[in-house]
Amino acid sequence: MSGRGCDLVVVHLYADLLRTYGDRGNVLALARRAEWRGFGVRVCEVGRGEPLPPKTDIVLMGGGTDRVQEIVGEDLLSRGGELLEAAAAGAVVIGICGGYQFLGRRYVDARGAVIEGLGILDVETIAGEGRIVGNVRAEATLRDERFELIGFENHGGRTRLGPDARPLATVPQGQGNNGGDRTEGAVQGTAVGTYLHGPVLPANPRFADELLRMALAERLGGEPLAPLDDALEEAAHSAARSRRR
Amino acid sequence: MDRTPAADRGTSSARDRVARGAARATGAILRRTGAGGGSALPGTVLERLSPGFVERRAAAFGDGVVIVSGTNGKTTTASMLRTILRASGIQTAGNESGSNLRRGVASALMEAPATARMAVLEVDEAALPALVRAMRPRALVLTNVFRDQLDRYWETETIARHLADAMDAAPAGCRVIANADDPLLWHRAREHDVVGFGVASLVGAAATGSRADAEPEACPRCGETLSYAGRTIAHLGRARCTACSWASVAPEYEATVVSSSGMSGIVVKIRGHTIHLGIGGVHNAYNAAAALAAAAVLGVSEERAAKALEEFRPRFGRSEEFSAEGHAGWLFLMKNPAGAGVVIREVTEDERVGAVVVAVSDQIADGRDISWIWDVDFERLGAAGLPTVASGRRAADVAVRLKYAGESPVGVDPEPRGALRTAASAAGQGRSIAVLATYTAMLDVRRALTHSRRARLEDVG
Repeated sequence: MSGRGCDLVVVHLYADLLRTYGDRGNVLALARRAEWRGFGVRVCEVGRGEPLPPKTDIVLMGGGTDRVQEIVGEDLLSRGGELLEAAAAGAVVIGICGGYQFLGRRYVDARGAVIEGLGILDVETIAGEGRIVGNVRAEATLRDERFELIGFENHGGRTRLGPDARPLATVPQGQGNNGGDRTEGAVQGTAVGTYLHGPVLPANPRFADELLRMALAERLGGEPLAPLDDALEEAAHSAARSRRR
Repeated sequence: MDRTPAADRGTSSARDRVARGAARATGAILRRTGAGGGSALPGTVLERLSPGFVERRAAAFGDGVVIVSGTNGKTTTASMLRTILRASGIQTAGNESGSNLRRGVASALMEAPATARMAVLEVDEAALPALVRAMRPRALVLTNVFRDQLDRYWETETIARHLADAMDAAPAGCRVIANADDPLLWHRAREHDVVGFGVASLVGAAATGSRADAEPEACPRCGETLSYAGRTIAHLGRARCTACSWASVAPEYEATVVSSSGMSGIVVKIRGHTIHLGIGGVHNAYNAAAALAAAAVLGVSEERAAKALEEFRPRFGRSEEFSAEGHAGWLFLMKNPAGAGVVIREVTEDERVGAVVVAVSDQIADGRDISWIWDVDFERLGAAGLPTVASGRRAADVAVRLKYAGESPVGVDPEPRGALRTAASAAGQGRSIAVLATYTAMLDVRRALTHSRRARLEDVG
């Protein structure tokens, strides 16, 4: 857009497989909100066996069914180095639902088998009794910005944070990471994980914008992002406040 | 010769008669008090008072029971099959209201006329294995496996497993009629005595790239990537695995789309029979191929079945006509990305349409997680420049979705009456309104149309 060439490369990892909960909407929110501000955006779908494009700014990985997560598991572990490298170079890595669990250190399934994760987030997930399902309202803190998150959770795993990760949010309404400690999601450096569907980014433009600010930090040079008209999103937030769990 | 009507042979116990009386009274009370349609609760009463009623009543149909299941197309396929059977002189019972859990099926069996020789029942996927065991069908029609109401069933694999369990539970001699274009379903179905149906790939349907409304395209056997020689809807098409030898096959009953005229009809050719269907959309080519294949398995001549299909008209909610605020309109049920995508294609190709209402609610029957609307091809609506109104309990979220699809809505109103009014004024003189609604949102729209003096719902059933 606007002859600036490409300012932002957004990778949708395993877009053909991990997309059960409208994750395309998350990519769309990041891309459009950058484009509406005049940045040139390139969205790349990266599948099994394909390398990340050079200068990746954002990697987003969604959730899938158990079978599909099994299918991508092997490929994902083989690109652990690549993702860690990208994150170390400042790329924002976002995991949602199953993608969040993959970013963690390990997942212990119902039979006690241990599935190694990428270890980008210091979290661990253990399969729990029954699923956590329902509408969520959360209060997030990301890079000193505080904002409300709305979404829907539906997961069987119980996730606990280690000392290197801190929670993305607390949950006044909902079960969050594990149904016990009132936390939701995790943040560590430029890596962010959340259980929220919605999809979470178009539903929560302030969250999307914080992630864009992280990814565009160098190009923004300390300048804030230009404001956008989010009246429709704000209306959706006020509707969500009166919704039952 | 035994002159006892079929229904009484299997259900003649005094207990069944008392139970039926109590269940009917329940239904009458529900209808009179306006507490609901009264189609499911009587079944609950009946089953409580007379355990085993479903088994006994199902066994009493002289020519057996046919069950239709799968994510999309259950109601229409079952309805098409009943139309064919009735046109062939076979009196056929069924759950026409679409109430398809065990209690709804029990209610339908209770209301089945004693003279019915056959029953064609649509059954919810999760309720299917138990009902196959209970009703011992002679044929099982399986339409497809799409994402639907994820927070209730969790995963498409779970739905596929329900269908596979049902096939395993079917009695000896039961024929399976399955969608050969659905890799996950066909992989399981081909282990059984199966007749395949499908639709020949459409010209111009690309076989590359990922499509938002499709299920993950992994080989059902080894998990590697599937490659498509052609597609029809989402992940339906002719596929082969890029790693192992798995491949789908050309089905015995394959429909070819000859021509399409938006929402009002589609012409298909199946095994040499040209059929002018009175309802549009590729999904109805699938439904027709399924119904024709099932009818043939049941012994109806293909020619007669093809002729009967031309007389078929849609049932409740699967494209009903109405008029409101001086405009004609169509009401479509929207359940999941693939189904909605087909409807949007029809709507944008039909020049009579001047405005669209998208109504999404989040009650259990709609699916409480509405993330899936981001996988619906609303971009096509935006590109067509059709003014769109967001409605339903989640109208505000629909509005955000439409904004990202390229065209912010011309109105946001959770209430159907207001939404229709806004759509009517945006539609332009003489143009129609298309309403796409999730299940309970559709009920709300119907209620508004029924109670409004300025609106009328055609009885096209």
